[in-house]
Amino acid sequence: MELKKKRFLEEKTFIVITGLAAAITSLLLILIVGKIALESLPALNLYFLTTAEVDTPGFGQAIGNSIVGTIYLSLLSVIFAMPISIGTAIFLKKYARESVLTRTVRFLIDVLAGMPSIVLGVFGMLFIVIYLKPLTGGFSLISGALAMAILILPVIEKAAEEAIGTVPKELEEGSIALGGTKWTTIRKITIPYALSGIMTGIVLGIGRSAEESAIVVLTAGYSQFYPVLETLQNPKMPFGVQLGPFQEPVGALSISVYHMFQFPNIVPRANGFAAALVLIVIVMVINLLARLILWRWKIGQ
Amino acid sequence: MIEEIRTAVQNEFSGSKSSKRTAFLKKLDVPGIVFLLCGIITILIIVFLIAFIFYTALPTFQNEGLGFITGINWDYSQHEYGALALIAGTIVLTVTTIAIACPLSVLTAIFLAEYSPPALTKVLRPMIELLVGIPSVVYGIFGLFVLEKTFRYNINPSISSVLGFIPIFRNLQPSTGTGILLASTVLSIMILPTITSLSVEALNSVPREYKEASISLGATKWETIKKVVVPVASSGMITAVVLGIMRAMGETMAVVMLLGGQMHIPGSFLDTAYAMTSKILNDIGYYVADDEARSALFAIAAVLIAFEVITVGAARYIGGRKKWN
Repeated sequence: MELKKKRFLEEKTFIVITGLAAAITSLLLILIVGKIALESLPALNLYFLTTAEVDTPGFGQAIGNSIVGTIYLSLLSVIFAMPISIGTAIFLKKYARESVLTRTVRFLIDVLAGMPSIVLGVFGMLFIVIYLKPLTGGFSLISGALAMAILILPVIEKAAEEAIGTVPKELEEGSIALGGTKWTTIRKITIPYALSGIMTGIVLGIGRSAEESAIVVLTAGYSQFYPVLETLQNPKMPFGVQLGPFQEPVGALSISVYHMFQFPNIVPRANGFAAALVLIVIVMVINLLARLILWRWKIGQ
Repeated sequence: MIEEIRTAVQNEFSGSKSSKRTAFLKKLDVPGIVFLLCGIITILIIVFLIAFIFYTALPTFQNEGLGFITGINWDYSQHEYGALALIAGTIVLTVTTIAIACPLSVLTAIFLAEYSPPALTKVLRPMIELLVGIPSVVYGIFGLFVLEKTFRYNINPSISSVLGFIPIFRNLQPSTGTGILLASTVLSIMILPTITSLSVEALNSVPREYKEASISLGATKWETIKKVVVPVASSGMITAVVLGIMRAMGETMAVVMLLGGQMHIPGSFLDTAYAMTSKILNDIGYYVADDEARSALFAIAAVLIAFEVITVGAARYIGGRKKWN
């Protein structure tokens, strides 16, 4: 009887403890987003969101240039990373035989996936920004996108590999039995079937590069202007032409948030938090999109 | 007439040539070669990246030897580079972060996977997973502009007055709220969603029959969790924690803002410190043109890579190849 009571008590105690932990976790996260939203209310208006910083009277008064810059940076980095990472995934899953070599390749990709972003940042700064300056134009949109493409390469590769792994063997065997070559099978069966999973990886990659800050600071620089398509005379570049916005510095939301830390007396508190809120919303919408694609895919099956 | 014949003959020849070529191409399997090239490019990028960092760092390792890891003095003007304080800062920060985040997220995961009513799980899980995406720079300014005052005036003094008789809980920097405790509190909030959602996944993958067998033998739910579910899911959960460790170790932006940035070996959990990542970020802009200083900063990056490779190896050894993101 005594033992039964003790076991019952233990059971109840642990329900309460785990419940409390869950409550603390969810409350903490709600609190953070809520507090940031509350702090940013005074600064949130259309002028703040759509004006380039250069057109405002002071520093940190508007973030239009940063919003556009973040979108450009994340899209361009995904465009760079996408072909190589999906190609690698298809090669590992469909062409390579399981061996020490493929295991090493996967280990290297895991290492890249866990690489601290500051390491990619200094690599980008020294190699892409300084050594490749004639091509990238130094601190520029293209330097930032290249450095971040390395960051999101493993994200897309893993998602693609996983998606390709879910394609039923029977479908592919059916295609080959009907006389399809390996390439037609991949093109007509494997890729269409795995497309939603691959898309999810791509969207996650966009989100990952939108939230990145250390790499952007070290490779993309910062610009108060909207990125615009233009050509500039620059004798140091090949053909003497510098192509904007690709070979010019570009702003990013994470840098706007970072400025609040660097210049706390210049950037108004509400503006810094508003930039943070916009960044959170953008990343969350992107992640929500990824979940939606995955969800529709699961229902489709 | 002759022209027509000539063009006809030419067409005939070129046609046969091109069909020969397509036959050759068919045997060649062009898509396979393209995919192989993609794989080779990926490997080249990774190997080149790591080799580039170590090559740039090499002069420092040659000059300082083991002194780079054991030395405490980091001075550009004296040409002395000892990273012990930075390494200590990163290790203490990571350990404290895991000590705070691990119990909270594992218990949350157990609640979500086992106890919580399905309706609540349906709301909480996606919410927690969406919060993985809050950028670290946002956590940084949140910690600095919202939490710093609370830590300076309330939390640090009260911890110091209650536990101050133990040296590691003394408040050595009463004038600031930044320090290891603030940084690791914020970092642990940052890695909570990662560890929680991966642990829930591991717990959910435990076969239903195991639990049913345990319950049918008369075990309570908690006993089932303690003796059956958690041991079976442990490798997945450890992988989740290792991922958290990696994120905390490699974090830059939030740490730069919250750790205080004083170059010394921290004397207590409330003391300020300096992490490897923040040293690189703060100094690379000024010293990228100076060969020797740049090499020293890249040496820190090389040490970070070494730590990271060891952690990845450990995680793969424990849990096989799991999802990382």
